[in-house]
Amino acid sequence: MGFQDRLSRELVAAWAIAKKDVAIYYLRPGTIVGGVLFPLFMFLAFTAGKLGTAMALIPGLIGITTLFSASSIEPVSIPIERRTNTFDRLLSAPISLNALVLGESLSGLLYSVVIALVVFVAALLILATPIANILLIVVGILLSSLCFATMGTLFAAYPTESPGDIISMVNVVRFPLIFISGVFIPIATLPAVGQMIAYVSPLTYANDLIQGGYNGKMTFHPIVDVAMLIVFILIFQLIANYLYKRFSD
Amino acid sequence: MKFREHSMTSDTQAIEVSHLVKQFGAFTAVNDISFSVAVGETFGFLGPNGAGKTTTIRMLTGISPPTSGMATIFGHDIVRDTVAARQSMGIVSETSNVYTDLTGWQNMMLAAQLYRVGRTERDRKATELLQRFELYERRGDRVHGYSKGMMRRLTIAMGLVNSPRLLFLDEPTSGLDVESNLIIRDMISDLIRGGVTVFLTTHNIEEANVLCDRVAIIDKGLIAAIDAPERLKKTIQSVQSIEVSFDRSSPTRLDELRQVPMVNHARKEGDKFKLFTEDPTEVIDGVMAYAHTHNTRVTSITTLGPSLEDVFVKLTGLQRSGGGVTAID
Ligand SMILES: Nc1ncnc2c1ncn2[C@@H]1O[C@H](COP(=O)(O)OP(=O)(O)OP(=O)(O)O)[C@@H](O)[C@H]1O
Ligand SMILES: [Mg+2]
Repeated sequence: MGFQDRLSRELVAAWAIAKKDVAIYYLRPGTIVGGVLFPLFMFLAFTAGKLGTAMALIPGLIGITTLFSASSIEPVSIPIERRTNTFDRLLSAPISLNALVLGESLSGLLYSVVIALVVFVAALLILATPIANILLIVVGILLSSLCFATMGTLFAAYPTESPGDIISMVNVVRFPLIFISGVFIPIATLPAVGQMIAYVSPLTYANDLIQGGYNGKMTFHPIVDVAMLIVFILIFQLIANYLYKRFSD
Repeated sequence: MKFREHSMTSDTQAIEVSHLVKQFGAFTAVNDISFSVAVGETFGFLGPNGAGKTTTIRMLTGISPPTSGMATIFGHDIVRDTVAARQSMGIVSETSNVYTDLTGWQNMMLAAQLYRVGRTERDRKATELLQRFELYERRGDRVHGYSKGMMRRLTIAMGLVNSPRLLFLDEPTSGLDVESNLIIRDMISDLIRGGVTVFLTTHNIEEANVLCDRVAIIDKGLIAAIDAPERLKKTIQSVQSIEVSFDRSSPTRLDELRQVPMVNHARKEGDKFKLFTEDPTEVIDGVMAYAHTHNTRVTSITTLGPSLEDVFVKLTGLQRSGGGVTAID
């Protein structure tokens, strides 16, 4: 079988897996609470209803919604599919584990992009937020969505049939990231340890791109942000791939 | 792309299994089994609950890595060449694993896309299969509302949407009503006539008999015998039994019952006696005559179909440690 043939087979299957998640999981209450309402409440708590602060915090809001919404699908869908045995269907299809992981992550990516887009448009219409460079915002949203979706798929490799198990593990990572990635607290004002951790947080680079897109102020060069996010995506993909193989029994 | 291109080696063997072992921790679920299934053959795996049937299918379909040993599908090693080995298989798992939040049609499309069946072909095939399984009228309904038999039929239809050359059927008819059973067995017969290789598990001796060219009897992860069903049937028939109890007990009863015509073997189980025979009717008459001459009354008498445990013990001489007896439906 030629490489091109193989690739197109894998992509067709990955897309089919993603479409199934869209149809089944996007509108589940748990997904909406974890992926949409939660970051929104978090944002309202930080702005405390003040409009001026709201404007300044829009880039941060987009950052954390991508984090939460992108990683809200697979930690729910995969354990449920283990329970109903439909996951065996995906595991026994003539595709590689990489295609399976990618297909699963695609649905998280799309979910996150749609929600980030809603926030972006709403901010534009209601707050008339100024924009410095829309390309940075778009790239930031796309890459961070794929990155956090793959992270969700990675955590869902843990062989449990209960979504709660995975969600609690994901939260152990998601919450600290908000505080050490420069979303609400500038990295420069963090203690030395916090600053070091910030460098290994994908949200730092995602947030930097989106901030830069809105107000032009950036901590890193955009190329660095993009490269770092791509590195994180590849690492998550590889680890996820390894874990799904490892946990197959 | 055609599936045919992939069978480069081994054109006569659809499945070759050599010393396959699966352990879960210290527990051995499949214990060094070897067999092969020829192209076009229908091969049955007959065994009681927990025998290792599903575990074997999970290894042969590449879901579960074997602890040791190897298996090839049309010449492709299932561990090293997984994707190629899976290309031409259809898998129907023992649970009806359909997406209940999707419609019947959406389920078919998803299954087809996972095997990259082209758009026109998948529309045609899905229509044909849903009609065949009497689900076409309900294709737009969410599977949530389907009956158990409908879900089972949909699961099988999904397993066929890529026109597989080799079909794995894990207990296709267990727990279904007569009508669903008939539709499913008819379909299996058609596939067999069409040259599809079928690997089927069941704990129903009759089903194995009707459908299979060869049957392996498996228990506790071991294959006790592989043979044509007619020949296994002889063994199976010889372990039909009668369970009888009397109103009075007598120390010599077991020995006396052994003398009843056509009784091959007898044992006492609690207050009942179990008499093994190939001719239950004859033995019932004999037991009644015995009761009459010995001046006792039969308080209950039941014919039991052959139990797989008994067949297994008969074939191997191994007594099962758990002692549980599985009745055959
Ligand atoms: N993932 C697992 N972990 C531990 N033990 C397992 C696992 N899967 C199967 N087993 C054990 O392996 C043995 C064989 O199970 P298997 O499902 O293959 O039986 P089966 O022949 O399909 O039975 P049934 O007719 O009930 O479907 C059983 O004792 C089962 O408990
Ligand atoms: Mg089973």
